[in-house]
Amino acid sequence: MNNSTFQSDSNQNEITTAISNEGLSDQPWWVEQWMELINSYRFKKRLERAWTYARDGNVTSIRFEGRRVHARVQGTGEDPYKVKLWLDVLNDEDWQYVIEALIEKAKWSAQLLAGIMPSDIERAFAASGKRLFPFKLQEIRSECSCPDKANPCKHISAIYYLMGDRFSEDPFVLFQLRGRTRNTLLTDLAEKRSQALTNLINAQKQDISEKNNNKDYPPHPAILDPSLWWKYDKNLNADLVVITPCLGEDTGLESAGDLPLAEDPKFPNAKQKFIAHLLEQGKIISQKSILQAMSKED
Amino acid sequence: MSLLHATWLPAIRTASSSDGPALLIWADAWKVAEPSGPKETPAIHPFALDPENLRIWLKSKNLLPDGIMDASACLTLPSRSINQKIQRNKTSNPEIEKNNDPEWIGFPLQAGEAIPKSPEWWPWQVKGLAISPSNATEWISKLPLSGKHNYLGEELRWWSHLQRWALSLIAKGRWLPQVELSRGEFYPHRARWVPLLNREDDRRRLEELAGSLPLVATCALPWKEGAINNNHLTTRLRLEAMREANPVASCRPRSGRLRVANLLSELIDAQLRKSFTKETSGLDPLLQAWQEALGSETGIISLPDEEVKRLSKASLHWKEGIAGNVAAARACLELVTPVKGDELWTLQFSLQAEADPTLRVPAATAWAAGSELLQIGEVSVENPGEVLLEGMGRALTVFPALERGLENPIPESMQLTPAEAFILVRTAAKELRDIGVGVELPPSLSGGLASRLGLAIQAEISTNSRELTLGQKLNWSWEFMIGGITLNLRELENLAAKKNPLILHKGAWLQLRPNDLKNAEKFSSAQIKLNLDDALRLTAAEDDTLMRLPVHQFEPGPMLQGVLEQYHQKKAPEPLATPEKFIGQLRPYQERGLGWLAFLHRFNQGACLADDMGLGKTIQLLAFLQHLKSEQELKGPTLLIAPTSVLTNWKREALAFTPDLQVLEHYGPKRSSTPAELNKVLKNIDLVLTSYGHIQRDVDLLKTINWQGIVIDEAQAIKNPNAKQSQATRAIAKVDKTKKFKIAMTGTPVENRVSELWALMDFLNPRVLGEEDFFHQRYRLPIERYGDMSSLKDLKARVSPFILRRLKTDKAIISDLPEKIELSEWVDLTKEQKELYKKIVSETLDRMSTGTNAQHHGKILGLLTKLKQICNHPSLFLKETNIDTEFINRSRKLQRLDEILEEVIDAGDRALLFTQFKEWGNLLQSYLQEKWKIEVLFLHGGSKKQERQAMIDRFQDDPRGPQLFLLSLKAGGVGLNLTRANHVFHIDRWWNPAVENQATDRAYRIGQENRVMVHKFITSNSVEEKIDQMIAKKSKLTEEVIGSGENWLSNLDVNQLRELVSLEDNEL
Repeated sequence: MNNSTFQSDSNQNEITTAISNEGLSDQPWWVEQWMELINSYRFKKRLERAWTYARDGNVTSIRFEGRRVHARVQGTGEDPYKVKLWLDVLNDEDWQYVIEALIEKAKWSAQLLAGIMPSDIERAFAASGKRLFPFKLQEIRSECSCPDKANPCKHISAIYYLMGDRFSEDPFVLFQLRGRTRNTLLTDLAEKRSQALTNLINAQKQDISEKNNNKDYPPHPAILDPSLWWKYDKNLNADLVVITPCLGEDTGLESAGDLPLAEDPKFPNAKQKFIAHLLEQGKIISQKSILQAMSKED
Repeated sequence: MSLLHATWLPAIRTASSSDGPALLIWADAWKVAEPSGPKETPAIHPFALDPENLRIWLKSKNLLPDGIMDASACLTLPSRSINQKIQRNKTSNPEIEKNNDPEWIGFPLQAGEAIPKSPEWWPWQVKGLAISPSNATEWISKLPLSGKHNYLGEELRWWSHLQRWALSLIAKGRWLPQVELSRGEFYPHRARWVPLLNREDDRRRLEELAGSLPLVATCALPWKEGAINNNHLTTRLRLEAMREANPVASCRPRSGRLRVANLLSELIDAQLRKSFTKETSGLDPLLQAWQEALGSETGIISLPDEEVKRLSKASLHWKEGIAGNVAAARACLELVTPVKGDELWTLQFSLQAEADPTLRVPAATAWAAGSELLQIGEVSVENPGEVLLEGMGRALTVFPALERGLENPIPESMQLTPAEAFILVRTAAKELRDIGVGVELPPSLSGGLASRLGLAIQAEISTNSRELTLGQKLNWSWEFMIGGITLNLRELENLAAKKNPLILHKGAWLQLRPNDLKNAEKFSSAQIKLNLDDALRLTAAEDDTLMRLPVHQFEPGPMLQGVLEQYHQKKAPEPLATPEKFIGQLRPYQERGLGWLAFLHRFNQGACLADDMGLGKTIQLLAFLQHLKSEQELKGPTLLIAPTSVLTNWKREALAFTPDLQVLEHYGPKRSSTPAELNKVLKNIDLVLTSYGHIQRDVDLLKTINWQGIVIDEAQAIKNPNAKQSQATRAIAKVDKTKKFKIAMTGTPVENRVSELWALMDFLNPRVLGEEDFFHQRYRLPIERYGDMSSLKDLKARVSPFILRRLKTDKAIISDLPEKIELSEWVDLTKEQKELYKKIVSETLDRMSTGTNAQHHGKILGLLTKLKQICNHPSLFLKETNIDTEFINRSRKLQRLDEILEEVIDAGDRALLFTQFKEWGNLLQSYLQEKWKIEVLFLHGGSKKQERQAMIDRFQDDPRGPQLFLLSLKAGGVGLNLTRANHVFHIDRWWNPAVENQATDRAYRIGQENRVMVHKFITSNSVEEKIDQMIAKKSKLTEEVIGSGENWLSNLDVNQLRELVSLEDNEL
C-alpha cells in the first residue's frame, strides 16, 4: 500500500481529493469503497481533525474482538478515550441466504479460498436483503467515551480512517464484523457445497464413493521395503548444478508486492524502508549463497 | 566400518525444556552385541558410536562440525526380532520380573543389512552430536553432492541435495518473511523466513525429494532423555504409545511432502536468519519487532498477542497471493483443440497430482468427492474440492478469462475464443504454472521440442558397407516437421502468410515462431550433404540439431540401421567366428567381442574393451590380431603396452592361444636401443610387448616405428593425463594417427570414472571429447562436483559407442560361464628377487653335495620354503618388518595382486586371500590397509577362538564389513563358511591341489550366490611353475605328492632337485 500522499500532503483541506484521485487508486476495491463511505460525511471540518488525529498517531490501539472493534484514542484529556465500533450483524438465517447465494458461483468460493475479496460479493449478500459493506455512514454503530455529543466524533472518525488500512491487511475482517470469521465462513461454504453437490450429482457420487470408500491408506513404501530407511540413489537435479540469482523473473518479495499492513502514522515510510531493506539484504544474501554454492570443494 | 547418519530433531518444548530444532549426526558400526528392547525408556542402540569416539572419527574424516553438543534422541528404526524365551524362573517374584522385562527384544537393522522376513519398527535411543540449524546448513553444504562414499549414509546425500535446493531458493530470492503464531503452550510466536514453492520446478522438486526421502532423516520421536524424572506420564513409553508415535505406522504418503517442506523451511530460515543484518531505523514498533525477530537466533517476537496476530494475518495475506498451501494435488487447466469446423476451444478443469502430472481426474470427480479423501492413482488428496477451488481462485488473477467459466456452482469446463486460447498458450500458461496451477496444452502447442520447427530425415547407405568410412556420403531426403506433422517449404510459407498465431494444419494445431520461416528458407537453400559421421552424431543424442534445426525424426534404411545399432550398442555385437589359427574355441560372448573390435576397426575407430575381470579380454585381443593376420590385414607390428606385472601373462597366453603370431618383447637391458636395431628385429614380428615404464624411456625410439596398432592393457595406467607414461603413450598413438588402430583394455568401469575418461579417449579417438580444458569445464566439473546428470548422460552418449563392458552377471554371459572360474596369474621376478633366488639355490645345492638323505630332506624343505618366500616378496625372506614406499616395487607378485585387488575393491566385491606364511600375511595386512585405507582381516593359527568367530561374523554379516580377508592356509583352509566372498586368491602355491581346493571351497559352497573367481599366482620359471606343471600333468610324481605330502622330496637326487628349483632365466 502506498500512503505517501497522506504524508506529503500538508494541506489538510485537500484530503478528500487526495484520497479519491491518487492516494488510494491502487488500493483494493474494498478499501476504496470504505474511504468513499467516509468521505461522504458532511462535516468536513470534523473529518479534517479526525485525519490529523489519525496521522499524528493519537490512536494508540485498535483491536478486533469478535464482532466489535475496540480502540483507544488520545484526545485532549489525560486518559485516552475508549472507542467501540460495530456493524449490524447478520443473523443465522441471513447468513444461510448469503451462503446459498455464494455457492451459486464457483468463482466466489474460489476467490475467498485464495484470499481474494470478490468484487461483486454484494450480489451474494443481496440475496439476504443485507449488505456486506455499510451503505451509509449511519450503519456504522459507534460509541466514544469522550464528552462530545456528536456522533461520529473526531475520535470515532479517526478510527474510520485507520480501519480502511486494516481492511487491506485482511479483507475478511468485514465478514467478522458481520458475524462470521473467514474460517467459519469457509467451513459453512464447504458444508453447503457438499450438500448441494449431493443433490446435484447423486448418481455420480455413489459411483465414486464406492471407489473411494477405502479409508485405509495404502501402506508407506518403507513398510514393504525397510531398506528405504537408508536408501537414496538419486542424482542432483540438473537445475541445481549451477546456482544462479533470479534471471529476468521476480523474486518472492517483488511478486508479493506491497505488504498489506496498515501504516503507523507516527512512522512515515516505515513500510517502504522495511521492504527496501529486505530487498537489499536479499540481494546480499543471494550473492553470498551463490558464492557458497560455487566454492564447494571436490 | 562406521557409517555416518543425520536425522532431524524437531523442537521439543515442554515446561522444562525449550530445545530448538537440531540436526543429530550419529554413526553406527557393526559389532557383537546382546539383543535388547524398550522398557520404560527406549533401548540403547547397541551399534551407535558414543559421542566421544564420534568426535574423534569425524575429526579424522575432516567432518567435525562447529558448535556441536552431545545429544541423545529416540529414533524409530526397522528392527530384527530375536526369539528368546524370557526366563521367568530366575527370581522369586515373577511380578517384578515381568514388569522389568522388555516386551520385545532384538536389534536395530543397519543400512545394507539383509532385511529379515518380518521386520518390526522399534524406538532406539541413539547418542550422537546435535548441531544447530545454522551450523547444520554449513556442515551439510560441505558434504559431497554425488558419488558413493563408504562412510557416509546415503541420506547425507539427500540432505546435501535438500540444502543445495535451499541455496538455490535463497539465491533466487524465493522466500518471504512470515510470522508464525504459537502452536501451543510452550511455543512462542516467532518470525520465520519461509520458502515460496509456487513455481512448477520447485513443486516438482518437492515431490522428488519427498518421494525419495530416506526415512532415517526424519525418524526422530518427540522424546527427551532424562525427562522421565520430571514428568513420568509423558515419557513412559507404552507399547501402544510407541506404535502410535511410530512415524511409519502413522505416516500417510502425503506427510512426506509436508515433512520435507518443513525441513526445507528450517534450512532456509536458519540461513537467512544468520545472514540477515537488521539496521533500518525509523520503523514502527510492529515492523521493528518483526525485523528484530527475523535477525535473532530464536526468532521470538516480543509484541502483545493482539499485535502479533495482526502481523501474522497481514504476512499470510501477503504470501497467499503468490503461493498456496502444500497439497498433494493442484488445480489444472487442460486446453483442448476445437472440434473440426468449430471456432471455440475448450478448457477443461481437472485436479492433477503433484507427484505425477499424468495423474489427473476431471473436475466432476473432485466435486463429487467433496471433502472426502480422493484417490488419484496412488496419491491421496484431502479436500479435493477446496484444493481445486483455491487454485482456480489464484488462476483468476493471471488469467481473467477464466472468470466466465466459474459462474456456476460446479464448473467442469469452459469455452475460449481463439484469442484467449492464444494468450493461454503464449503467456498465461507459464504464469499459471508459476503460481502453482497446472496447465496441459495439446502436444503440438506444448512449447516442448516437438512443437518447434525441425526436420524429419530419411537416409540410407549408398554402397557396399564393407568399404564404409565415416566420411561416406549417404542417400538422404528430408522434410520439415512441427508438432509431429511434416510439411514442405511452400506449405510453411502459406501458413506463415496467414498471420494467425495458432494455425490448423493437417489436423493439428501449430504455433509458428518468428524466426521459423527464415531458418527454414536458409536450410532449404543450403544444399547440405549428409555423411555417415553426421548420422552417427544425430542419432547419438536426443536433441542434436542440423543447422540449428532439431532433428525430430531419423529413419535409417535397413543397411544404415544395422550400422547405427551396432555403433550405438543397441544390440549385442555381431559375432565373428573364432579365427582358424587360434588354438581353442572362443565362448559366444567372446566371439561377439571379437566382432565388435572388428566393427570399430573397419570404421577406423579406437575401441575400449572393458569386460569384467575373468571374461577373457586377453584372448579376445589375441583372437582379433589373429583375425587380422588370417585376413592378411596385419601388415606391420602392433605395440602392446602393459604393466610389467602382466607381461609374462601376455607372453604365455600368446604362446598358448595364437602361436601363429610372432611376439617380441621390448623389455629389459637387452632390448634394441636404436631405430635401425629395432626395425631389424621387428621384421616379421606381429606383436611387440613392452611396459609403461619402458614407454617413458623409449618414447622417441618407439615413435619412429610405423606401428599398425597400439594396444594398452590395464588402461587405467594412463588415467592421469599429465603422468609421463600417459603422455608418452598418447604421443606414440598420435604419430600418423589415422593409420593406427587403437585398442584399450581395462577391467574397471571406465564409463563411470569421469576424470579418467579424457586421457583414455584422447588415446583412442581424440576428437570425441576435445581438448582437456574444454572437457574439464564441460563435463568433469559439473559431473564430479555437482553430479550433473544431463552432462553425464551426454558424456556417456559420446563415449559409449567406443566402450564395450560386459559383466559376469549379465544374463547373456552367465549361460556361457562356469560357476567357478580359475585364473592363472603368471608373474615374473624383480631383479632383487631373481638375485636372491639364484643365490639361495646355488648356496643350498653346493652344501647338499655332502650329507645324508635325512639331512638333505630338511635342507630341501627349507630351500623350497625360502624360494616361495622370495617369490612372494624379498622382505618376507629377509625377515624385514618395515614397509616403505619401495615395498610395492620389490615384488612382481605383489604388484599384480595390487592391480587385481583394485578392481575387486572398486567393484565392491569381497575376497579371501590365502597364504601359507603368517609373516607374509602380517606384511600384506599392513600394506593393504595403508594403501587402500580399508580394514583387512587376518585369521591365522595364532588367532584366539573368539577373535576368529568375530572376524568370520563380521565378514559374513556386517553390512559394511571388510572386503578383504587374509587367511593362513592351515588355519583358514577348512571348516569355515565364507560365502560372502566371490574371489579367492592363492598367493603362493601348495603342493597338494586338494588343500587349495578345500580353501577355495570356503567361498565356493552352498550359500554362494555369485560366480567365484579363483586367482592362482604362479611365478614363471620358478619352483612355483614346476609345482603347477606337476599338478597339471598329474604325473606320477604328483600322485605321490597328493598321496604322501612332502615325503617324496627326500627321494629327489640333487639333479632332480636342481631341475625343480633352478630359475630358468631367459630373455627377461
